[in-house]
Amino acid sequence: MNRRTRWARLALAVWLPVVVLVVWWFASATSNSPYFPPLTDILDELVDEWVFGDAKWQLLPSLRNLAVGFVGGSLLGVLGGALLWRVPVLRRATNPIVYFLYVLPAPALLPAMIALFGLGEVRQMALIAFGATWPALLNTLDGMRGIDEVKFDTARAMGFGALRTLWQVVLPGASPQIAAGLRASLQVSIILMVVSEMVAAEEGIGYFILEAQTVFAITTMWTGILVLAVVGTALNYAFVGIERRALAWHYGSRRIGGGPA
Amino acid sequence: MQAAIGFVRPVLVPCVTLLLVLAGWQAVTVSGLFRPDQFPTMTDTLTALGAALGTSELWTAVGATLQGWAIGLVIAAVLAVVVGCVLGANDVAFRSTASLIEVFKAIPAIAILPLVILVLGSTIGMKVFLIAFGAFWPLVIQVIYGVRAMDPTVSDTARALGVRGWRRFVTVTLPSASPYIATGLRIASASALILAVVAELVGGAEGIGRRILFARNAGVTAYPTMYAYILVAGCLGIVLTGAFFLLERKGMHWHESQRGVGTAGLEAR
Repeated sequence: MNRRTRWARLALAVWLPVVVLVVWWFASATSNSPYFPPLTDILDELVDEWVFGDAKWQLLPSLRNLAVGFVGGSLLGVLGGALLWRVPVLRRATNPIVYFLYVLPAPALLPAMIALFGLGEVRQMALIAFGATWPALLNTLDGMRGIDEVKFDTARAMGFGALRTLWQVVLPGASPQIAAGLRASLQVSIILMVVSEMVAAEEGIGYFILEAQTVFAITTMWTGILVLAVVGTALNYAFVGIERRALAWHYGSRRIGGGPA
Repeated sequence: MQAAIGFVRPVLVPCVTLLLVLAGWQAVTVSGLFRPDQFPTMTDTLTALGAALGTSELWTAVGATLQGWAIGLVIAAVLAVVVGCVLGANDVAFRSTASLIEVFKAIPAIAILPLVILVLGSTIGMKVFLIAFGAFWPLVIQVIYGVRAMDPTVSDTARALGVRGWRRFVTVTLPSASPYIATGLRIASASALILAVVAELVGGAEGIGRRILFARNAGVTAYPTMYAYILVAGCLGIVLTGAFFLLERKGMHWHESQRGVGTAGLEAR
């Protein structure tokens, strides 16, 4: 790709977002609507609250709960998925229960988590972990079941031990689907992080936004929405970036194989 | 004999597990490992479920959740198919909008919930807007990928035969993209149900989520009812996900992507 087409592509990719921001800026500049304050006001407030003010500390409990819940839940999910893959009897036996817990809309459990763990952050972490477990578990199971039997025969013929088979056959074979599962887990985790802060909580970004809405501090609420949007987007992009890097060999072989990259 | 065992086992084993789980639930609650104000007993919960199934309250709540889910999903699907087909067919339009769509897809829909509650109130409209907003972005990406993944031979043949405009959209573009759309719909349906429950829990719209919160706020005596409603929410998830899974499997059997070995569906990345 030469330099000119590269610039043309970049221009194509950025012109619309720029136009949207400019339109928002000018269309809202004279806005009298209580719900849609001028963008300049929102940005001023954003700097006051989030750069100089204390609002940024609301992110700490949110991100801590997310990290503990997401990592704990997906670890459980990957290990559980691997276990169910190894033990077919267990897989058949638990199938309906696992499926039920997977399709159960996790926010519905929030009131139950309050009853179980009280109002503190434990119930928030527990809820996030619960939601993160099932997409990770089912995708790990699917990914491991999808590995070609020939690969195991080859590993056996080459005298691979159990550990070596795990590292060189099972994990590489299942990792694209495990990654897809973790991506789904992360999305559920972010939703659950915010929901758990919007019901009976006293800190966190979700609490900040809903509290601002309750006291009708609309501009402050908008700053929270923008920050949450940026944080959520950044987390998703960070995950995709790590995934691309960790699975570079996979995408590379798919390109060579002529499949969709 | 062998055949009978082969027929019974797939049903028997899950049933036994289900009974074991129910018995385990009863054991940990009756033995006092969990207090009634933490986790009600299985028998109390099933009794509450039986009682709730006979009330109009439960069915109104189920109806309200389903209504928001369905309207939101239909709006998102229609918009996504129309917008996705236009953007997928035109390279400049696709490249211009791709970054914007990716960003909106990455924004957690729940971020805008307080704003939507403020503008629309605790109404079905609020729920529908949140669901449609959350379901639209991933769905439109699926449609775009589906349209762009069209076999060039099919596309060239249609052009050579002079199939253009509306007819091309209905007879060539839609069928070719439909497996992607079906997968997108299955995923969107699950997130639509989650967003419906969120809109009811946080936004106070009528539905299962609100009933669960009410039951918790009503105190310990209503906890079995709370768990009964949670079980109902899970059953709703099973019915909806199962329906879309069947649609994907059975409705798409003619498409080449489904003719080979069982594929897990086509998800755009």
